[in-house]
Order: sequence, then structure tokens, then C-alpha cells
Amino acid sequence: MVQYILRRFAQFVPVFFGVTLLLFFITTLLPGDPVALRSGEKKLPPAVYAALRHSYGLDKPWYAQYGDYLGSLSPVHYSSKAGLQFTGPDLGDSISSGRPVVDIFKETYPYTVRLALTAIAIEILVGIGVGIVAAVRQYSIWDTLATLGTSILVALPVFWLGLMLQYFFGIILKQWTGGAFYLPISGASGPVFADWVHLILPSVTLASVSTAYAARIMRSQLLEVSGQDYVRTAFAKGLGGSAVLWRHEMKNALIPVVTFIGLDLGVMLSGAILTETVFNWPGVGLTIYQAIGRRDYPVVFGGVTLVLFVVLLVNLLVDISYAFLDPRIRLGGQAEG
Amino acid sequence: MSDDLKAVEVTDGGVIADVRPPPGSKPPTDELRRAAESRGNRTLYGDAWYRLRRNKLALGALAWLILLVLAAVSADLWVPQHFGKPNAIDTALIGTSRLLPPSPTHPLGTDDLGRDMFARVIYGARISLTVGALAVLVAVLIGILLGALSGFYTGWLDALIMRFADVFLAFPYILFAILLLSVLPEESRASIVPVVLTIGVLGWPSIARVFRSSILSVKENDYVDAGRALGASDGRLIIRHILPNAIAPILVYATMSIGGAILTEAALSFLGLGIIPDPVRSPNAVSWGRMIDDGRMYLTSNAGIVLWPGIAILTTVLAFTLLGDGVRDALDVKMRD
Amino acid sequence: MADHLLTVDDLKMYFHTRDGVVKAVDGVSYTLDKDETLGVVGESGSGKSVTALTLMGLIQMPPGRVEGGDATFKGRSLITMKEEDLRAIRGNEISMIFQDPMTSLNPVYRIGHQIGESVRIHRGASKAEARARAVELLGLVGIPHPEKRVDDYPHQFSGGMRQRAMIAMALACDPDILIADEPTTALDVTIQAQILELMQEVQRRTRSAIIMITHDLGVIADIADRVLVMYAGKPAEYGTLDEVFSEPLHPYTWGLMDSIPRAGMSEKSALCPIKGQPPSLVHVPSGCTFHPRCPYAKDVCRVKVPPFREVKGSHGASCHFAGQPDFVRGCSLDLEPEAV
Repeated sequence: MVQYILRRFAQFVPVFFGVTLLLFFITTLLPGDPVALRSGEKKLPPAVYAALRHSYGLDKPWYAQYGDYLGSLSPVHYSSKAGLQFTGPDLGDSISSGRPVVDIFKETYPYTVRLALTAIAIEILVGIGVGIVAAVRQYSIWDTLATLGTSILVALPVFWLGLMLQYFFGIILKQWTGGAFYLPISGASGPVFADWVHLILPSVTLASVSTAYAARIMRSQLLEVSGQDYVRTAFAKGLGGSAVLWRHEMKNALIPVVTFIGLDLGVMLSGAILTETVFNWPGVGLTIYQAIGRRDYPVVFGGVTLVLFVVLLVNLLVDISYAFLDPRIRLGGQAEG
Repeated sequence: MSDDLKAVEVTDGGVIADVRPPPGSKPPTDELRRAAESRGNRTLYGDAWYRLRRNKLALGALAWLILLVLAAVSADLWVPQHFGKPNAIDTALIGTSRLLPPSPTHPLGTDDLGRDMFARVIYGARISLTVGALAVLVAVLIGILLGALSGFYTGWLDALIMRFADVFLAFPYILFAILLLSVLPEESRASIVPVVLTIGVLGWPSIARVFRSSILSVKENDYVDAGRALGASDGRLIIRHILPNAIAPILVYATMSIGGAILTEAALSFLGLGIIPDPVRSPNAVSWGRMIDDGRMYLTSNAGIVLWPGIAILTTVLAFTLLGDGVRDALDVKMRD
Repeated sequence: MADHLLTVDDLKMYFHTRDGVVKAVDGVSYTLDKDETLGVVGESGSGKSVTALTLMGLIQMPPGRVEGGDATFKGRSLITMKEEDLRAIRGNEISMIFQDPMTSLNPVYRIGHQIGESVRIHRGASKAEARARAVELLGLVGIPHPEKRVDDYPHQFSGGMRQRAMIAMALACDPDILIADEPTTALDVTIQAQILELMQEVQRRTRSAIIMITHDLGVIADIADRVLVMYAGKPAEYGTLDEVFSEPLHPYTWGLMDSIPRAGMSEKSALCPIKGQPPSLVHVPSGCTFHPRCPYAKDVCRVKVPPFREVKGSHGASCHFAGQPDFVRGCSLDLEPEAV
């Protein structure tokens, strides 16, 4: 197993550098005017422009700039005065507000986390549940409904689903019940962990497409596993249908499903920009979206970078967790016989 | 014997209604295969076509798509005459004709600026279908090239290309697209090229991987079986053997990917990063995603502005998915033989 | 007539599929007693496995259906029994081992856990008791250091060891009948011999009955007491080992014996394979199912289905001419139909 983990790590390192290189390329080398990207698009006198350019290190050769870039990404900084400090990566300052980008995201990330965790919980409960029902009652009405439902969910735009949910549960429901009952459709009020009503619609929306995929994978895995020889052996030992399902089949079928959901968590933590935009949910995604509109590039780049590393980390962890789930990988190797 | 299927089974895990009889031997498959073979021998793609024709769902999807394509391609001939131009604003009529519900003159109603929704949806199809198809084409071209290089010349080139692919795959779709499109100058976004390239560049790794593994598996067969006999005509015959087999999964994947590309384009347009209609270069450019974004404010007055483009996206993507499923079923069985 | 442990009487199991009715088992009868080994031999698709799976109730009931006959175990009918009663018998009084031990064991559970599972279900044993029993059984089947190996996962065992573990699993509750479906086919020849020896030793110790399903006549010769030769779902021949091997009655049996190399054959004698292919079980040949491949076929064989006819004691065959004194066997390459 140690071998497996080390191998995964070894694959991770070049990808990490590749990603940073690509990010560097896109944010520094590719655009026409990197100075404008950092400090706004006002027309500047040439002297000021040149000074800014120098201060951003943009007159250095590209590999030196890359080095600077990597350095800025490090969350740990060393200065001769204060020694080693954990300050977080230096992602520049927002053009519109002047605040450090890192601080902006420190405030907004908790909201995204909350949304993502709720959505994952829905995905696990509903996705796995529907998948099991569809597989166990294959060819029944439930299976057909599940297949149809998931096919439709997977084909519709998430943001549109959010808007439709807003429409029905926020507006129409309000009309029908004379304003008595409705679900809030925008924003989040109160401290991060207190207000759950506002969480309902956004998390359902965010979870929807992923849940559809999870249900499909669960179903297909379960169907595949149920055709395996060891299932026949279990029946031959006198086990009944549900015992075979829960003890023998699920343990095998769940492995890829868990992996998928883990990866999905990474995706959801990446800001769910579409959902947050529709519901005005003050998380990372909304911040990035608003920054795009205001051309506040440091925030856009900083946000994408931050989120990207979270995804990479989660992916790595999921990869490694695979070793714990599958004893064939955990304990590798054949014994003598 | 198996009549008593509803017996409640008490296991040490709880009480669960026991539904399934033990699965077990299915009828001997050689039997059924022989019966099927009696239908006659056909070529690889001939048989696939025969199977596809029998798949009602896939045929329906294909018909819908053909209809859509025809309507979109011929739009200039009939839409402006009966429904008005999609982007043109008739200031004189705005007051009376905005936010109208569906009627004979306006089958899908009008939007907030008095423009006919049906016309906009049809023109939107143009963008979606074109972007979808072209983006996938770009991804397929790059993917096949790099996948082929990777598969043929294993070793360091293979490793390099696969790492490269990993880097791209590490980026969550939307974020990467946002990053790229936000650094491009706005003037370039009057055409579909930026969006097409962005989505295409996102898609190549998956295709490269699929193609590479096809090549690897066929390569194994060929070398083992006919290695001695081929000799000098190695390359030629390999291309002639590998291509038909390796192309099949690409075909399936590409068909389904068009749906994904359409969703991505819609999302990007929703976020404001899509095509910007330019009165000179692209006066009729309408995107379904953008329509949904524009219509957000008017949910209460006329939900149709958000509803119809969404349904258009849903049906089109679903059609591509069903078609892809059909193609896969048609080709897959043959591949197993 | 003495009461047999298991009596199978004219059992018929058909599969109703979209492409037709597959007559997988079409009228099979035999008896089985304690300490007895029945060898069921036939080609792929002859129905030998399906017969056993039907006894255990492991056939998916649509599309399968028992169309006739019965199987009586200790006086009770396995066919009409309720599912929960069958479940009490499976793994307990009748157990089964399968062909491929790698895929027949669950990869995510330890061997000890899987062996102990039947004890826990059928005897209500605790985890500790089940584990102890698993260790004991592993020792019984010849696995070294069973206390350590009991916590291993299947992929850590070699092929032969896995099959031994499967046998251990089948023996956990001291079954009266052990059904072995091609247990040695997936193994090396040397391991094959070991496994067969192990099964015989187990039988000596527990006096359980064994149904050995195989396509290998050598295995039959090694361990069977009685032989059932199956062809296209029907019983071709049935009798004791001695009877069937020294005086076979059915042309198919002759063909089987002629098509394998035997000790004492001269280098110059040819192997005579049975010409033709096994028939489709959907479109069964008319009359005797073997007639298209039988070198001795006469008109009556094409028209009339031969009943199973006992010739000497319980030794019999389904052939119109079985038992007639002039009906002897020769190599099927020299087509010399006998005058009847």
C-alpha cells in the first residue's frame, strides 16, 4: 500500500507543476497587457506604467517570473525580520476594493463549504438510494423512472434548474399559499451555520446533476456485481436476497461510487459558480462571478487558483483512499500455495 | 418454490423485505447467439446501422436533431420574415409588445425588449449546434493526434502526453473556461472561435485517452497474431486494422460530448463569457444561455423567457445523449463479437 | 426399495426466452446415497450444471421453469419447497463448489469470514466460534498455517489454495451432499490430482455424498461410483462406473471414450472425435437428439424419441438399440451400421 501511495504522489508532483505552469501561462504570458490585469485598465502615464511593470517583476525573463509566481503561491513566507510565517499565498489585491485577495476568499469560502457539504449529503442519500432501488427492481417502473429521471437531469443546465426551482418554490408557491409558505430564493442571512432555510434550494440544485450521475453509477455497479460468481456462491451458502445485497454486493459495488462522490466533493468545493450566481449565495463562486463583471482580474485569477488547488488536493486524497477501500490494493501481492 | 418472494427477512442488520429470488444460471448464451446469428452476416457498420434503425429512441432523437439543424440552417430564409430578427429592437413597438405570453403571432411569446422568442430560440440553435459540433471536432482532432502518438510510440512521449492530459483534466471545466475567456479581449468574442477553442481544448484529454487505449489493445492483438506475416507492411496494415475499431468508441464519445459542449457553452454565456453579438460581424448571434441570463429579472412577469431556452437546451442535449447511447449499443455488441 | 438420500425423477427444466424455449434439462433421473459419488459427464451445454443448480434452486425462475419431474431430498421435494426452506438447506445440508475459485470468492472479505459465514447463518455461531471453525476447516483441507491464513484475502491465495478454501467453505456445516461443478477445470493438472484426492479423503471422513460434474472422463474414472452421461439435456446413459466403462451402451458414450487417448493405445491408432457439433437446445433435432452425429443412426432414430431403457439392473441408456447383442462399438470412422 505504501508503494501505491508513493506512486500516486509521484504522479501528483508533475501534474502540480504542470498546473501551475499553465496557470502562469494564462495569467501572465498570454494576455495582452498583464499590467492592466493587475491594477486596472486606467490609462497610465508611461513612467508610472514602467514603474508598475517593474514592481510586478514583468520585465524579468519568463522563467524568473515563473519562479516568482511559484513563490507567491506558497502559504509560508520567510522574511529576515519575522522568520517563517504562515501567511497564506499572495494572490495580489483586488482592483476594485484594494483588499488582499486571500482575505476576500477567507470570508467567502465557508459559505461554499457549507453548500458543498449539504449537497454531498443529498447526493449520498438520494443518489445511492435511487441507484439501489433501480438495480434491485430492475425493469420495474422504478427502474424506468430512475433511468428517465437521471437522463433528463443530466441533460439540463444546472443554472436553469435553479431558476425553475426559484420560480416554483419561491414565486408560484408564494402565490398559491397567499404568501404563507415559500422557500427563500436568494442570499443567506445570519451567521454561517445558523441559517438553513436558505440552504435548501441552492443545495438541491447543486446536488441535482451529481446525484443523477451517482445514481447511475450505483445502479450499473450493482447490476454488474450481481452477475458475479461470488454472489452465486453467497446464495449457494443459504444467504437470502437482502443479506446478499447488503453484505456481499454493496461492499463491492460501493467502491467506485465512493470514489466518484469523493471527486464530486472536490468539484463542488470548486465554487459551484453557476448555482451561487443564481441564488446569490455569498460563496467563492459568486465572488468570482462578480469579479468577472467588474474586470477585477486578481480576484478572478486568485479565486480560480485557490479553488484549483483544493480540487487537486481532494483528488489526491480520493486516489489514496482507494487503497483503503479495496483490499486487493491495500495488501497487494500473491502468497505462496 | 419461489412464490414466496415477499417473505420478510430478519437479518442481524434489521428487517428488510426480501424481494429477489436467487439469481443464478441464465440460459446458455451460446444458444441465443446462434439463434441471433441466423439473421445473417453483415459488415461491421452495416450491422450497426441495422441495430440503430431498430432503436426507436435513438431514431427519434436523430429525427429531432435533423429537424433542428434544418430549421437553424435555413433560418435566414423564413424566420425574419414571419417573426422578426432575433436581435433587432423595434423601439416603436417596445411598449406594447414586450413580455407577451404565447400567441399565434408569437408562438413562444416575446422578451423584455419586444423580440419574438421563437425567432431567438431558432437562432440560438445555430450557435449552440455550431459551437457544440465544432468544439467537439477540435477536441477530437487534437485528441486523436495526441492519443495516436501516445499509443504508437510508448515510452517517454506517451508519459509526457499523458501527464499533459492529467494537467488539463485537473481543471474543473467551468473554471478553466472562465480563466481563458476572461483574459481574451472582448472584441474577439464577436465570433464563436474563442468559445469553440476553449471548449475544444478542454475536451481533448478524454478523447486522447480513449483513443490511446483502443490503439494499445488492438496493437497487442495485431503484433501477436500477425507479427511475422506483416513484416514491412506493418504500419499500413495496422492503420487499416486499428482505425475502424478504434474509431468506434470515439464516435460514441463524440456524439455524447456534443451535448456536454452545448451545456458548457450555455453556462459560459449565462456567465457573460459567451458570444457577444456585434451589429456588423454577427448581428444575429443569440445564445440560449445568454437568453436565460437576460430573462432572470423577468421571472415574475414572464417566466417564458427563461423557460423556453432551457427546454431547448434540455431537449437538444437529451437528443444527443440518446443518439450517443444508440450508437454505442449499435456498435458495442459488434465490438464484443 | 430402499430410501435414497436424493432421488431425481424425470426432472425437466426449460428456459423460456425471446428466441425460443431452451430445453436445458429434459428428463433426467438418478439416485444418490450416502458415501456415494455420482459423476455427471457431458459436453458444454449438455445440461449437467443446470441439473445441479436446479436442485439447489439457484436457477433464475423466470425465464427458467421446472416443467416436470421432481427431486426428493430426505423425503422432501426440493422443487415444491418454499424458498426459506430451501435456504435452510443450501450451504447446510447440500452445498456446492464452483469452477473458478478466483471469481467465486468475494474479494473484499477475508477467507475466514467467508468460510465462517455459513456456520453463523445455519448454526447461529458467534464470530469467534465461526473463526475457530474456519481455522479447523482450513487445516482439514490441507492449508498450512491456517491460524494465519484465515485472515487473508482471496487474492493472497494461489489457485489451488483457493479451491481448497472453497471446499472448506462447502464443508462448514457438514453437508450430506457436496456438489462439485467442474472443480478442477481451472486448475493445473498436478493441483487437479491433489484436489480430487482431498475430496475423496473428505468423503471417507464425513461419508457425505458427492455429485461430481465434469467433462473429463479421467476425473470420472478416478472418483465416481455411478456415472450419468448427459447429452443435450437428456440422459444418454446411466449406471455404475464399472458398467458404463466396461460395457457402455450408448453410441455417444462410445464416442466419448474413443475420442480421448488412453493408456495402452498404440501410436498408430487414430483418435476418433465425434463428428459434428452439439445441437441447439432451442431447435432440438427430431427423434433421438444424438442422431445427426450418430454413425449408427437408422430411420427410427430420426423419428422416434428413444426412451431411457434399463438393460441390466439400473444400467441403461436412451437408445433404440441399446442392449441388443449385435449392437457393439467400433470406431465411428468406419461407418458400418449394424443390421437390426
